[in-house]
Amino acid sequence: MSTLALRHGSSYALQQLARAFNANATSWIGLVTFLAIVALALLAPLISPYDPLDQDILVRLEGPSAAHWFGTDSYGRDILSRLLWGARLSLVISTVSILTAMLIGGIIGILAGYIGGRFDMIVMQAMDVLLSFPSLIMGLMVVAMLGASMGNLMIAIALTAIAPFARIARAPTILVKERDYIEACRALGYSDLRIMAVHILPNIIAEILVMGSLWLATAIRIEASLSFIGLGVRPPTATWGGMIREGFENILDSASLSVFPSLAILLVVFSLNMLGDGLRDAIDPKLRGGE
Amino acid sequence: MTADAPIIAIENLVTEFRTGGGWHPAVRDVSFAVQRNETLAIVGESGCGKSVTALSIMGLVPPANGRVASGHIRFAGRDLVGLDEEEMRKLRGDRISMIFQEPMTSLNPVLTVGFQIAEALHYHRDMGRREADASALELFDQVKIPSARQRFADYPHQFSGGMRQRVMIAMALACRPELLLADEPTTALDVTIQAQVLSLLAELKAAYGMAMIFITHNLGVVASIADRVAVMYAGEIVETAPVNELFARPTHPYTELLLRSIPRVDRDTVGLSAIAGQVPSIGAMPSGCRFAPRCPLREEICTRRDPLLVKLSDPGDHQVRCWLRAPSSEAGHG
Repeated sequence: MSTLALRHGSSYALQQLARAFNANATSWIGLVTFLAIVALALLAPLISPYDPLDQDILVRLEGPSAAHWFGTDSYGRDILSRLLWGARLSLVISTVSILTAMLIGGIIGILAGYIGGRFDMIVMQAMDVLLSFPSLIMGLMVVAMLGASMGNLMIAIALTAIAPFARIARAPTILVKERDYIEACRALGYSDLRIMAVHILPNIIAEILVMGSLWLATAIRIEASLSFIGLGVRPPTATWGGMIREGFENILDSASLSVFPSLAILLVVFSLNMLGDGLRDAIDPKLRGGE
Repeated sequence: MTADAPIIAIENLVTEFRTGGGWHPAVRDVSFAVQRNETLAIVGESGCGKSVTALSIMGLVPPANGRVASGHIRFAGRDLVGLDEEEMRKLRGDRISMIFQEPMTSLNPVLTVGFQIAEALHYHRDMGRREADASALELFDQVKIPSARQRFADYPHQFSGGMRQRVMIAMALACRPELLLADEPTTALDVTIQAQVLSLLAELKAAYGMAMIFITHNLGVVASIADRVAVMYAGEIVETAPVNELFARPTHPYTELLLRSIPRVDRDTVGLSAIAGQVPSIGAMPSGCRFAPRCPLREEICTRRDPLLVKLSDPGDHQVRCWLRAPSSEAGHG
């Protein structure tokens, strides 16, 4: 039954999101751009012209040409192919880490908001401590402690994003739990768990989703930054941050090696921010006004 | 249990709230009983303790600053005071239900009305989704929501106030409770819709044979739905009587003034009569009779000692708490 409620509730949330979309052109641009990037990443094995790890020492550090549209890197690998494969990695890492943070942070926030009192105070102070670390520093600390790997990178990013999700879930929970229909739920004898999962969550899920789209961009940035300083996924696997680093080392010989991955990151972050901002602007007054 | 044993009997209920530093009773020494298939109306001004009485029965007094301090609430022979939350939760929505005043805000805006009605059945009766949906559809018919099948998957904002109140009633009655608490269920509705909802409630009460406690400040509503009436003032029952007896012979000065302050179209009066003064606040209750400061008949004894709820001699079921109108043989606890 609770999945049913979520289906009911999230279908309503999706209706709201759809309405928000239609009211806002930038969110459309953001969505279309982002989906295009996702599609390219998914199709990488089919459309990338070369194997991302194939070296061709004869054509190293070349600029764009008919054979290599975006040029080649210092080992003669095709930049376009590496970009496409790198997109897969960036998107997987950011999506998994943000979904994890959404889940954990969301649960913490709803619990804190619903239970309130001393529990709320202690939990949110712990969240404040987490928030006080800049996300990049936090990522550095975690990766330095656990070692550089794809899994640890995801843990690091998820940890930095839990606190913001807890906050974004807590505030509307406090608002919603005072509503008459929650009192009516108590009068119907529903358990606290049921009230939170079936009656509060669908009311606040839109806000969490909007926050998620904004944090996806941040996660991609953090992943690139950590890879750039060598704490991300190990070479020779193609990552955008790693490619920028290589380009940075060879910037006097070939600009294209750092320019194209930077543009890719810029494009993803930009599209996600447009998407998120558009949604937030459109959804905010509706949620605040309540029903 | 015999047929006329009351389904709910409240004995000397005291419910307190913490304001400032101390605990103050919002409901004091309230006792009444309701039989199956009987409607008791609790009448009084805002803040007289009628809603708190209902919340006490439901076990929904906010634990942070409220408590049932003493007394008993016997439901089907079991004392609900001190019952643990888990047991209480099983009763709520199943054997005891409550309808609230505000139909516009008492339904979850993001869940369909059909889901919200079926949920109670699913939760308390362990019904599967299909079965619960089918029962919920039947309930739609019983509360007379037109074209039930089409409206089943609608959201609350697609319903009018009256229709939403019908949905609330369907939710409350889904598990066929033995006791229904209705806290001003018609106050927020148009007068024509009010009449429809009242007759619906009366009909369903008779059909299910349930006991109903109907809380209102509207004496017109009382006349049309109640079997018996308890008039509350400042946390106490000041008069209780069968509905006809109360309207024919209001005995407590407060009841009398209440009845007189109903606007009448059939009499030529200049202006409305209002009761002077205000309900005393919970932290500043007067000593003696609580109505004394506003009472036109006040005498010296009224402010000195608490009056008791006393049976009037002839019909035994008419009780009044007043030194002057129903003097008790013994002195009250002063």
